[in-house]
Amino acid sequence: MMSPWLADGLIPLAKILAVILYPMLMVIVMIWLERRVVAWIQGRVGPNRVGYQGILQPFADAVKLFFKEDIVQRRADRFLFNISPVLVMFSTLLAFCFLPLGESFRIGDYTLNLWVARSPVGLLLVLGLSSISVFGVIFGGWASNSKYPLLGALRSVVQVLSYEIPVGLTVLTVVFLARSMDLVRIVERQQESGVWYGFLLPVSFLVFWISAIAETNRAPFDLPEAESELVAGYHTEYSGMKFAFFYMAEYAHMVLASSLVVILFFGGWLPPFPGLKAFAFLGAIPGFIWYLVKIMFFLYLYVWIRATFPRYRFDSLIRLVWKWLIPLSLVNFLVVVGLRYLL
Amino acid sequence: MSVLLYGFEARERILDLFEEYVGARLTVHGIRIGGVPRDFDPEFVQRIGKTLDGLPRTLRDIELLLNENRIWKERTQGVGVITAAEAVDFGLTGPPLRATGVHWDIRKDVPYSSYEDFDFDVPLGSAGDVYDRYLVRMEEMRQSLGIVRQALDRLPDGECSAKVPRILRIPPAEVFHTIEAPKGELGFYIRSNGTDKPERVKMKSPSFINLMSLAHMSRGNLFSDVIGILGSLDIVLGEIDK
Amino acid sequence: MNALERLFRKIFLVDILTGLAVTLRYYFSKKVTVPYPEKVLPPPERFRGILRLCRNDQGEPLCIACKACQRACGQGCFDIEGKREEGAKAMKPVKFDWRLDRCSFCGLCVEVCPTAAIRFSREFRLSTLDRRELAFSHEEMYLEGESLQNRLCGACRP
Repeated sequence: MMSPWLADGLIPLAKILAVILYPMLMVIVMIWLERRVVAWIQGRVGPNRVGYQGILQPFADAVKLFFKEDIVQRRADRFLFNISPVLVMFSTLLAFCFLPLGESFRIGDYTLNLWVARSPVGLLLVLGLSSISVFGVIFGGWASNSKYPLLGALRSVVQVLSYEIPVGLTVLTVVFLARSMDLVRIVERQQESGVWYGFLLPVSFLVFWISAIAETNRAPFDLPEAESELVAGYHTEYSGMKFAFFYMAEYAHMVLASSLVVILFFGGWLPPFPGLKAFAFLGAIPGFIWYLVKIMFFLYLYVWIRATFPRYRFDSLIRLVWKWLIPLSLVNFLVVVGLRYLL
Repeated sequence: MSVLLYGFEARERILDLFEEYVGARLTVHGIRIGGVPRDFDPEFVQRIGKTLDGLPRTLRDIELLLNENRIWKERTQGVGVITAAEAVDFGLTGPPLRATGVHWDIRKDVPYSSYEDFDFDVPLGSAGDVYDRYLVRMEEMRQSLGIVRQALDRLPDGECSAKVPRILRIPPAEVFHTIEAPKGELGFYIRSNGTDKPERVKMKSPSFINLMSLAHMSRGNLFSDVIGILGSLDIVLGEIDK
Repeated sequence: MNALERLFRKIFLVDILTGLAVTLRYYFSKKVTVPYPEKVLPPPERFRGILRLCRNDQGEPLCIACKACQRACGQGCFDIEGKREEGAKAMKPVKFDWRLDRCSFCGLCVEVCPTAAIRFSREFRLSTLDRRELAFSHEEMYLEGESLQNRLCGACRP
């Protein structure tokens, strides 16, 4: 019988710490990864002097941002200006509480769950929480009292709002197949079906992935924050630690989106081909290793796509979602439902 | 985004050749009164050939990344359109003019510098938008590669420069001649008065004149397009500010 | 390309995938970065480094203070005075002041020099922290290599 100090005190405390440290660690890795991978694609080497192969570069960036002067405009709305980075970071980190990292395993007679909280509507909660970060963007753009951040914030808001719709519709197909909105249950259902949902629902996966890139304001959908178009969008007037918060929150949001893609469409912590006996040996590798590998693949994909394509102009972006992605996801949903009842 | 760097890396290879020839990357001063500063040696000719061999690969990569790319096409097709008549009215020259379909290339129409001895085509566009200007420039690069190869094959023997007196005294006259620069039609007007210093030198810079059509081309487009249109005009601010 | 093929290419994102394939190939290819200062690419032979005065094979200075370089220079970098000694065939410079901060490396002085006394070297590490170090006197025009580097702010060299 595990001591109650451990089971009800230390372990939950460790989990809360993990929910803060895990995204931050991934952010640190992402900062380094992005600069190196983009450089390699462009034929350069990227930062390689700070620490071995430049691995300490994110820390150097953090120290630099920490020491920068914290400027607040004289006519800016102080409260909103200060609270928007906090909002963006807070909502993204909170969503991590509901993300499972792997299957539970037993230590003695105690089951250690690799998640902080599990809810029957976990998926809804995660999507909802990640949408709260939009408020941070609006507040930041408005409170800056400057035209470029305002324009950037407005564009970002329209973009995120519009792309929430295909996200919802494609996620609906997954929920339909899995009969549950519980993230853990969705992965378990993929295990029972013996195949990742990405293979059963390729269109859903594609639309969800494109929308995820647009939701996180990443290239090629990054007009609201692109330097050549709008100075720097909604975070133009921010400096120092507040800017660092926006920066880190964007990467954390990327990790969140990648985690969602992996859980919903790529089997979470399941090895490839979970149904086939021939590949059962892959189950020897623990689930969360598979999970991390898959997340890293999608993070690589984020960076790869960023380095390859030009930016979408804003009206093309909006036209894409309203004319193509939303009708496509609607039709996709009907097709999935129809096929499910026919087969 | 990487396309910029692929192009720049290829440009660096060419600039390395210039540096080897005369010691400077951009300020080559290779064509002067009387000829060229010095002759090529055979190893240098070989190195030029090798660099030329590597360039079509880079051009092909850039085309694979951009020509059919839906994002690129959405951003450049139908943007910054100018008709042929308007282009001629604005005095547009160079690739932006040829992208509207007007066949005007000084190398073919008023040949200079033995261009009539070389075999090359002049690419023409039709729509006069940013996409066509991009395509015209890419094709012009390929044609230039062909011209350089023909020149390398037919390098004549003999002196590389005529005997030019140290101090030139030119009888009073005036002359205006244009050449086909990559930005457009670059021209010089020189008037002499019999002494060794010119009386008047005026440079007709293509970027300055091409820039005048920016306002006309931007009309009806979005604000984000202005960057694309400005880039497609390919201006050199030094020429404009002079 | 007929309409069907165009539709296929559009739906299956062929152009997107081709672009990704090109960048993937560059990801795995050799990088062009040269790790300076651990590795320094030698400049080509005719590289326009800092101007130096040269001596002939016997070690005598080649400059005859004809001031052709001073006349050719459009920036006013030179300030030369020469004197012919008794019984000597050519003049020798008594003052040869040259300013690096005005030089545009155009090479006109090198071209007009009748004795090829002034030439470009291949030295490109020319930064200093003090502007006064950019004015060279006659003897300093013959410095090369280590001694030139020490003259030009030796404190900030690796």
